[in-house]
Amino acid sequence: MNSFKNLNPYFLISYFIFVLFISIFSFNPIYLTSGMLGALSYCFLILEKKNILKSIIFYLLIFLAVAVLNPLFSHNGKTVLFFINDNRVTLEALIYGAVLALAVVEVIFWFKCFNLIFDSEKIIFLFGKISPKTALVISMTLRFIPNFIKTFRSVNTSQKLLLKNHRLKRYLNSFSAVITQSMENAVITSDSMNARGYLLKHKTFYSRFKFTPTDLFLLIISAVLFILTVIGRTSFTYYPEFIFPDLSLLNCISYFSFLVLSFIPFIFEIKEGIIWKFSVSKI
Amino acid sequence: MEIFSLKNLSFTYNASDSPALKDINLEIKKGEFLLLIGQSGCGKTTLLKMLKKELTPFGKSEGEIFFKRKKITDYNSMETASKIGFIMQDVESQIVTDKVYSELAFGLENIGYDKETIRARVAEFANFFGLSYMFERKTDSLSGGEKQLLNLASVMVMNPEVIILDEPVSMIDPIFAEKFINSLKKINDEFGTTIIIAEHHLLDVFKFADRVALLEDGKLTAVNSINEIYQSVRGKEIEKTLPVPVRIFNCFNLDGECPVTVKDAISFLNKNNIKSNYNSLNEIYRKEVILSAKNLWFRYQKNSRDILKNFSVNVKKGEIYAVLGENGSGKSTLLNLLNGSLKPYRGKIKCASKVAYLPQNPKNVFVKDNLEEDLKSINNSYLELLERFGLEKYVNTHPYDLSGGELQRAAIIKVLLTKPDIILLDEPTKGLDSFSKKELGGFLKNLTENGLTIILVTHDLEFAAEFSDRCGLLFDGEITSERGAKSFFMNNIFFTTPAAKISCATGGSAVTADELISELKEEK
Repeated sequence: MNSFKNLNPYFLISYFIFVLFISIFSFNPIYLTSGMLGALSYCFLILEKKNILKSIIFYLLIFLAVAVLNPLFSHNGKTVLFFINDNRVTLEALIYGAVLALAVVEVIFWFKCFNLIFDSEKIIFLFGKISPKTALVISMTLRFIPNFIKTFRSVNTSQKLLLKNHRLKRYLNSFSAVITQSMENAVITSDSMNARGYLLKHKTFYSRFKFTPTDLFLLIISAVLFILTVIGRTSFTYYPEFIFPDLSLLNCISYFSFLVLSFIPFIFEIKEGIIWKFSVSKI
Repeated sequence: MEIFSLKNLSFTYNASDSPALKDINLEIKKGEFLLLIGQSGCGKTTLLKMLKKELTPFGKSEGEIFFKRKKITDYNSMETASKIGFIMQDVESQIVTDKVYSELAFGLENIGYDKETIRARVAEFANFFGLSYMFERKTDSLSGGEKQLLNLASVMVMNPEVIILDEPVSMIDPIFAEKFINSLKKINDEFGTTIIIAEHHLLDVFKFADRVALLEDGKLTAVNSINEIYQSVRGKEIEKTLPVPVRIFNCFNLDGECPVTVKDAISFLNKNNIKSNYNSLNEIYRKEVILSAKNLWFRYQKNSRDILKNFSVNVKKGEIYAVLGENGSGKSTLLNLLNGSLKPYRGKIKCASKVAYLPQNPKNVFVKDNLEEDLKSINNSYLELLERFGLEKYVNTHPYDLSGGELQRAAIIKVLLTKPDIILLDEPTKGLDSFSKKELGGFLKNLTENGLTIILVTHDLEFAAEFSDRCGLLFDGEITSERGAKSFFMNNIFFTTPAAKISCATGGSAVTADELISELKEEK
């Protein structure tokens, strides 16, 4: 089940811009943690549990590496913990490293979600609105690449069976042959395009997406939550001393808004799941 | 009303001295189904391309082409792009985009329809052609036949008045070819769309055509209804490429109504009380096994289905063994197992001899810019082989510039240079006309006489019947029936050649058109 994916790409891209903007520029562990949880919860719904656990271990390693490396290179900060080779290792640098690591891993996870949601069709759709020609070029490229690889494999296999050449030489030979073949085929493709009126001026763009009231509703909600998040005065100071921003009402609203924003995919998915169950029980 | 009328049309390519088309006069009526026949290189493609303004080749043309009583050059591209549809032989390269729905929308986007119109039109045609099941799929995941149907549908969405087709089914398997031709007939019947088609896969097209035009060496020598065209071809080389019923009729030198389908041919023979001769089956049984595969199991991924299940085969030295089967039955996979590029997960292939393999597209064995350079890279005995098989004049030609049949032979010569004992061929007759097929078949026979063994996979029944020694039907992952080629086709009821069907119904034992004709002649 993946109903969040089926929403309009306009909404989806705006959503990702909102979340990533905060994730990248806030540098505040509270936002980062809620963002992380939001992304993870969505991944848990969509992906196989086994795969996620495997990747979590991998990202934990990245997290540790970044978190540990920062204090080794950055010696700012008031609170000295200990010395390595006459270099200070400070608490502030350690915390900064941990937050940096959290930011990196969180953004990676959001891109994981992005990959789950944005297939070629959505990307082409977004470009198609800017320029139909660009969309066509992307679509043609996506057709060209797998074809190219398939032909290359076939040429390369037959070369391998025919000649005991050096592998590199064989690859080069096959590659140039496939290029020539592709150019020959491109002539036919361009004939086929012209035969269907490609040279005409008016080029519109067809897509299967519609902008529904749900998309509009979610877009407005996300935009409001984003604005509420941004108006908080929540920047952390790390050096030379660790200073928390105060927990004013405004800031609490800001934290809470981002938490909700991050969980929108999860909530939407759960809501759709419940509706589905409900409608099935009615049948 | 005529939709096209050609007045004294001649055309000469820029690079050539002799004209490709000579003084052609032709009127094509609205709603007509016109079949264009002629040998390779007779100018069929040139003529068809002249009718589509966007594809008109460079060169000097004389005479006029009128489309709906107005010169075709006076139309703007907007009108001709949508009114005249064109479908080419190359199934693959005609497709422009990566997804089926975007391919269907392509033409309409060019004209500039809005999204809602395109949505409605695409839905309509996806339904009409039964393409809804693949609407969201990637175009490269489709089979060859599905691709060509998609090409037809993407032309049809523009609602053309004429569709011009240049050998549209020569690259696809017979089942989809039939489906494709039936779709054409349906379009012709239900929308009155004019169909102009050049094709050498004739039986199916023949029965639907209103008229047949015969093009010989750039000249239009006959335009007639199917029941009469036989007179114009009698005794000519082109006759041999016509469907069996027409050939049978012609060999009796009769006048009157010519049979077009298998059913007509049988009732024609019965009516005139003609029986075909029963000749005993002369099949050579070879003994020496050169390649044996035992209980092979193969699948591509751990969780995918088995392509081969307990597959076993023994191939004898010096024979042509044809593996038949429909698309996706695992024929190509089998060849890749036999040549060693894939490994079975269970079972054994025993073969002490050297195996050479030719992929489906013979272009894929060539990597250099001319034939000589390419063959030289294997070894130097190429000249002798080229001469033996009549290709020495192409020594300095780019391999891609060879015709289909020549390319196939050149590719076989290239693998012969590695001195193999067994050659594996994947669909060797794909895209070839019947002359080239005959040439190729003779060429393969010649090779086996010199001790070579050939294993080929194909869905070309006529070719297998004519040239192979033994045939096996690959179904559900194993060879389900295996016999000598002749008894294979004689014993099959459905999966057999038209000639065998006719011969069987009249008491004969022929499996190819030539055999049937000679049986009938003997009887006469």
